[in-house]
Amino acid sequence: MIRSFLLALTLVLVSAGAQSADLQSFGRGSWSKLRAAHDGQPTVVHFWGLTCAPCLVEMPEWGKLQAERPDMRLVMVAADPVPQDPARVNDMLARADLAKAENWAFTDRFNERLRYEIDPAWAGELPRTLLIDRDGQETVLTGVADLAEVRTWLDAQKKR
Amino acid sequence: MRSLLALAAFLLLAEPAAAQHQHGKPGAAPEAFTATPAFGPDGTLWLVRALADRIVVVRSTDLGKTFSEPVAVTPEPMNLDWGPDARARIVVDPKGGLVVTFAIFQDRNFNGRAFYSRSNDNGVTFGKPQPITADTTSQRFETAAVDPATGRVFATWLDKRNVAKARAAGKPYPGAALAYAWEDGEVGFGPTSIALDNTCECCRLGVAFAGPGKPAVVFRNIFPGSIRDHGVVTFKDEKTPGPVRRVSADEWKIEACPHHGPSLAILPDGSYHVAWFTAGSARKGLFYARADNGDTPFGAPRALSQPNRQPARPYLLANGMALHLVWKEFDGNKSTVRWQVSRDSGRTWSDPRTVADTADASDHPLLAATAGRAYLSWLTKAEGYRLIPLEDQP
Repeated sequence: MIRSFLLALTLVLVSAGAQSADLQSFGRGSWSKLRAAHDGQPTVVHFWGLTCAPCLVEMPEWGKLQAERPDMRLVMVAADPVPQDPARVNDMLARADLAKAENWAFTDRFNERLRYEIDPAWAGELPRTLLIDRDGQETVLTGVADLAEVRTWLDAQKKR
Repeated sequence: MRSLLALAAFLLLAEPAAAQHQHGKPGAAPEAFTATPAFGPDGTLWLVRALADRIVVVRSTDLGKTFSEPVAVTPEPMNLDWGPDARARIVVDPKGGLVVTFAIFQDRNFNGRAFYSRSNDNGVTFGKPQPITADTTSQRFETAAVDPATGRVFATWLDKRNVAKARAAGKPYPGAALAYAWEDGEVGFGPTSIALDNTCECCRLGVAFAGPGKPAVVFRNIFPGSIRDHGVVTFKDEKTPGPVRRVSADEWKIEACPHHGPSLAILPDGSYHVAWFTAGSARKGLFYARADNGDTPFGAPRALSQPNRQPARPYLLANGMALHLVWKEFDGNKSTVRWQVSRDSGRTWSDPRTVADTADASDHPLLAATAGRAYLSWLTKAEGYRLIPLEDQP
């Protein structure tokens, strides 16, 4: 009885661990840390928001792409102008099958500052995708991304 | 065994709470952070604040140096609309009556419910908040304005009742509708009418009066092809909204709402003045344009600042023939409020000046005037609320 219960408990804990994203707090200075952590590696950074309806429609497509390309370095940043409840951010990531991606969420209400650190000319529109190559060169995709373009870019990075 | 069950229960219960606290601030539900001013006929500054789950009003008789104890407008906690372009508002009628408007979220899909509350005892008490309209589908971005000629309160908002109707009929309905109602003898708002269908759904509205019974509303419209550029509707009389006059062909094709609405002022010479944000294919950034009157097309847009300074949240105020314009921008460390004034109907402007700054989060900059003097009204996280005289700026 106790053994079966322990097994059940273990399963509960493991599945809870798999479903809840390890959400990191994105504040002042986070962008430079994030960039440094991926320095020299082709990286896809996707900015989305719980308050952005097209983002929520697009999210599962990113989940599928991550499953299709497990070697893709994908960073998801929830960039709502008013910081959102982390439990709800995690819930959306789990539903889009993105709980295992590198996940961040804006937790500082000084949205202007966070956006300025990422790109001074970014007015906050979501969704937004950055393709960052080995040399740190950025390609910006505004609005819902054309994933065929992302796949082509990923293939091109492998050949370099 | 019992302790194991207790442990399991604790772990399961603790999980969401841990997820909330583990990453520090703010960690919980988003909150509104706004302060909106209105001057009374006697020069009293009335300020309505959204504080987490309640709305309060404070007053100042010394131009914002000191404030009264807050008076509650909401008798119980409410799930306030915290959207980045939403705010509780207050207007003062010619008799000194106060009308507060605000919205709550009804659900997790951002469907709103707009309320108003009136005080006829000089802000000592406010009536129980009442819905602004009977329809329960969704209302947001409610904005009240007092007709200066008649004293009657006009309210306009973005309403989704026709979205629900279209959906039920299996038809598409982009955006929301511009709805309006007039206050009916201080007891409530009269019947709701729809001025226009298919406007953008998440941007604040701007209201000014073109004449007695003739409010003018500026809003982000949806033009054919999902182009979300701005339009102005001027009423012919209290019940007859006129056609949409496009402010600018920015060609911003976007299937989302940018949460970034416009501002409108009308000068005594009848000229219209609009400031707005766009990221269209024709232009990107913050812009201003004028029109000679309610019928002529708007002139060429003038850019305010540079896109890499994040110019945002413009606000216009007509104060006699002086036309004030402020907006917020970011210099890499601080958010600043930039100010320009025109004394020739918006044709020429003073050089932009910084009139306030802050190194943390801030509300949108707003303007208000009393006794012929204009003031910047700005709530910032670090400094709190400030009322800053503009005419005294060097």
